[in-house]
Amino acid sequence: MSKPLTVGAVAYTPNVVTIWEGMRDYFAGTSSEMDFVLFSNYGRQVDALLEGIIDVAWNTNLAWVRTVARTDGACRALAMRDTDTVFQTVFLARSGSKLDGLADLKGRRLALGTQDSAQAAILPVHFLEHDGPGADAVELVRINSDMGKHGDTGRSELDALRAVLDDRADAAAIGINTWESIGREDLMPGAFEAFWESPTYSHCNFTALPTVPEERTGPWLERLLAMDWDNPEHRPILEMEGLRQWVPPQLDGYASLFEAVKEQGISARW
Amino acid sequence: MVNHGLVLDLVERVGAVARHGTVSVPLGDGDAAQLNATVMAWCARTGNELVDVQGNVATVRRGRSPDPLTELAPDLVPGTRLWMYTNFDCNLACDYCCVRSSPQTARRALGVDRVRQLATEAVAAGVSELILTGGEPFLLPDIDELVAACTAVLPTTLLTNGMLFRGRRLEALRRMDRSRLALQISLDSATPDQHDQHRGGGSWDRAVAGIHIARDEGFRVRVAATLPYEQSHELAPFHAFLDSLGIAPEDQVIRALAHRGVADHGIELTLESLIPEVTITADGVYWHPVSADHDDQLVTQEIFPLQDAITEVRRRFTELRARSTAAAQWFPCA
Repeated sequence: MSKPLTVGAVAYTPNVVTIWEGMRDYFAGTSSEMDFVLFSNYGRQVDALLEGIIDVAWNTNLAWVRTVARTDGACRALAMRDTDTVFQTVFLARSGSKLDGLADLKGRRLALGTQDSAQAAILPVHFLEHDGPGADAVELVRINSDMGKHGDTGRSELDALRAVLDDRADAAAIGINTWESIGREDLMPGAFEAFWESPTYSHCNFTALPTVPEERTGPWLERLLAMDWDNPEHRPILEMEGLRQWVPPQLDGYASLFEAVKEQGISARW
Repeated sequence: MVNHGLVLDLVERVGAVARHGTVSVPLGDGDAAQLNATVMAWCARTGNELVDVQGNVATVRRGRSPDPLTELAPDLVPGTRLWMYTNFDCNLACDYCCVRSSPQTARRALGVDRVRQLATEAVAAGVSELILTGGEPFLLPDIDELVAACTAVLPTTLLTNGMLFRGRRLEALRRMDRSRLALQISLDSATPDQHDQHRGGGSWDRAVAGIHIARDEGFRVRVAATLPYEQSHELAPFHAFLDSLGIAPEDQVIRALAHRGVADHGIELTLESLIPEVTITADGVYWHPVSADHDDQLVTQEIFPLQDAITEVRRRFTELRARSTAAAQWFPCA
């Protein structure tokens, strides 16, 4: 039996341990066993991937973009969650604010999440530039409460929403997953309304370097894609990780982020 | 006024604990009923569990608590086996009897009609084995009818002290269905002293004779010993004796003495520490056969429909396990 594939992930919540122990158990006893290493931030994880300490990294979209930049495009994406293919950023304001689109943000305060969050900081600025009045026309209220984790904790997005409730901002930009987790407009009637939703884009993926041969990643990937929502043993892991099915990567979905990183001059090592 | 920050707090605090962990979330200011409704709605939508609300603080579990019934071995799921106390009177007066049986104890017979109905309903309720116990069932003049009502529908075990296999009672035994019935005979030791000390002089000889009779009549015989917990590690001579009687190893049952009934010592068995075994007596439905004479483990006085009784036992077990799991999480280290 070959050496287990070592997968890196960032520990943004205690549940990460449960998720990856479940994943390890799922692969145990097969020809594609895996183990995992947890990192405190994506910077360290990408470094470890490039140094060969881990074989595969469970990367955010920003970590993918950085890995592509640091490998001159030689890295490859193996798979992503179905939910990663249809990620969106949602712009919210207080109910009754009558904001009707990004143009209405001109001269107003927009709360953004942590600056390394693609969904709550980098892409919102990109959307303001391309679909709105331009970032300079908006007062950006940056809330950097979970740096290093690329917005995974969701904490900075919740803080951005609090800023809107407390009238420290007129609007906030958050990820669709946070919008779902607060029940959209259903659980807090009279609190928030969405006034603009971005086009869909890609979020996380499993990233590997060409130095890890397909003979090692292939069987692992095949078994990963076989995880079944209807199988009661697989389902708890899928639920915790926020997907119904693992799917092949949709690389076109990263175009807007590549563009945003270039335009905003975000460092490849950030 | 609505506390809009509540949902944000729920997302943040619950997201910070591991699966099945619990967290306290202050509800903040506002109408209490509305705040409770908001927490319940959020939990329902997000697949988390509202454990309770005390004062102005909600306790929320990340994810849903696991179903304790699914964590049990299949044969331990309450309602898999159904115990029935046919009667409470007994020809013996053992000094540790968990249900206080003796020759002076009122019979409190379940009766053949109820046993038949229970057996019929047991099949529909998914029960896979019936167990008849007492008191001493062979004191009943219609014990063969009761057993027949059971063996007609499910495999059955009949608990007895094995001392009454003579005359009409032996004839009753011979009418029972050997292919569907096992006899479980009580015997506490390999020699008479210990057994007779608790059960009465001469009882060991008659019990051993009963084991021979039952086996000679072609019945599968289990032997069950009731021993103080401190003796439960000195069993080799006893097992060797049972081997010599032809009792199969899997039919040699050792039970720890329980501090119940007339026993003045033994292990303490409570609702929380016992996996329930649905038990029916003339007085109602009990949590477990060891507590069938104790009001603290009376589940309901309504025996029928049996399915409702089983459902209620399972519901209480699930509730108790959830509470004990939560208590274990709250237990401080220092």
